[in-house]
Amino acid sequence: MFQVYLPVAEISVNVLVMLGLGAAVGILSGMFGVGGGFLLTPLLMFSGIPPAIAVATGANQIVASSVSGALVQWRRDNIDFRMGLVLIAGGVVGAFAGVFLVKLLSRLGHAGIFISLVYVTFLGVIGSLMFVESLRAILRTRSGKPSQKRKPGEHTWIHGLPLKMRFHRSRLYISAIPPLVIGAIVGLLASVLGVGGGFIVVPAMIYLLRMPTNVVIGTSLFQIIFITAVITILYATLNQTLDVVLAFILVIGGVIGGQIGANTGQKMKGEHLRILLAIIVLAVAIRLLFGVVVTPDDLYSAAPLGMGV
Amino acid sequence: MQYGLALLLAASLPLSGVVALAAGAPPSEQIQSDISTREISIQSNFTGINIVLFGSVDFSRAPSLDESPHDVIMVIRGPNEPIVVRRKERVAGLWVNGPSRTFSSVPGFYAVLASRPFRAVAPEQTLKDLGIGFAYVDLGKSEPPESTANDAFRASLVRLRKSHDLFKESDDGVTFLGRSLFRGSVTLPVNVPIGRYTTQVFLFRDGKLLNQSQSSLQVQKAGFERVVYMLAFNHPFIYGLLAVLMAVTTGLLAWTIFRRD
Repeated sequence: MFQVYLPVAEISVNVLVMLGLGAAVGILSGMFGVGGGFLLTPLLMFSGIPPAIAVATGANQIVASSVSGALVQWRRDNIDFRMGLVLIAGGVVGAFAGVFLVKLLSRLGHAGIFISLVYVTFLGVIGSLMFVESLRAILRTRSGKPSQKRKPGEHTWIHGLPLKMRFHRSRLYISAIPPLVIGAIVGLLASVLGVGGGFIVVPAMIYLLRMPTNVVIGTSLFQIIFITAVITILYATLNQTLDVVLAFILVIGGVIGGQIGANTGQKMKGEHLRILLAIIVLAVAIRLLFGVVVTPDDLYSAAPLGMGV
Repeated sequence: MQYGLALLLAASLPLSGVVALAAGAPPSEQIQSDISTREISIQSNFTGINIVLFGSVDFSRAPSLDESPHDVIMVIRGPNEPIVVRRKERVAGLWVNGPSRTFSSVPGFYAVLASRPFRAVAPEQTLKDLGIGFAYVDLGKSEPPESTANDAFRASLVRLRKSHDLFKESDDGVTFLGRSLFRGSVTLPVNVPIGRYTTQVFLFRDGKLLNQSQSSLQVQKAGFERVVYMLAFNHPFIYGLLAVLMAVTTGLLAWTIFRRD
């Protein structure tokens, strides 16, 4: 009844399930202000979409959610365009490298396990850090002590690098090398994982570049639009694994979910929100780890030459 | 009893049917067959399709009732493609793809329908020569070469394809309606590859191949699905750009509709 045929993936999926998946991830991204790609891509894989299709299509979906997110931030003047462009410059290089890496690993038959392990590592580390941090914050509020304020930026070795640039909106005068390198790493991970990379670039901007928190989300979203757009086009051109019909269904679900999530998120406390997100992130990491550790039902797999996992 | 005797006879004279045909001896019986659908279009509501192969045996001489019956085997093969089969191995606690084997032309779809169990219809050698059944389906060259006939990689490929409904075998898939009319039906599942399919219908009696008939059908995407597919594979850059444009437009629309500032 609600089955729809995906022309590139060449499988039939239930529209309602995929809309629900898009909406669920949209709710989370609306609640937590993250892109949600790191959840969408694994969830697509769990529901039977081939990994290569999931990664490319996930990236396409994030373009839409980051456009509407970035527009909201732009109206509040929360985007450092100059910093964003430097991050994009590094990110494009990283994205190219990532897509070629996945293509190479696909040919060798190791793309699936590689993607899973990178996911497990990043989701595991970030999930654990968030969990510990938010648990501490909750315990601190319980015991009545005021929450700690972060100390203002101190000078580190990063500030001694050449190629200095002035970033007015961030009130920073630093070398362009760190943002370029961060951009490249995020671009590489984003293209391998089919995510926007917000969960890496946001902590990097706060802790490494010491940007003011209010411009971090906006700048990250602005940067994500371009990186995911580049990744979408690269996957479409080089791997032919982008299914635009699936992407469209996910985009619609994501738009609806994003609105629900934004309203729900405002009613919850910050640390409760963060611990909830940490638990979800850890659950996805454990589920992915299970997939590569537990003896599979079938040791054999078949894929067209030069493709597959 | 009659079948048993036929099998015994056929086994002692392997390939006698094929040889007789090749030698130009006038075949005693002719077979005619056709397919219910010559062109299959895949659209957004496609969930698989059932096709019917039917035909008749034209007699050059009237058979007496105590003569052994005709047997029909139908083989439907989808477009060929090289396939890599990999076996996972445990490396440092993780299951990683290890040894692999490439088969140069694996049919995207393969179905065999018969009026009786294959081995009762024709001797092993004939089945092997004609590529009938999972044991003998032609998968092209193997790289590295298969070590034994019962190679685990080959068996796994067949098993995987079977579990996706892409390889089918049916002992009683062909039914005779009277002495000369027969029909068989097969379902092409939702995941069938597009391209040209060939159907072969073999007529046997007493283990001998008497005649065969071939036809083909085309599976293709139609309408919107066709446009998307053609764009994705023939103009991938434009396709990628359009996908990004779609996402940007939707994101912009969502922001305009739901904006609160």
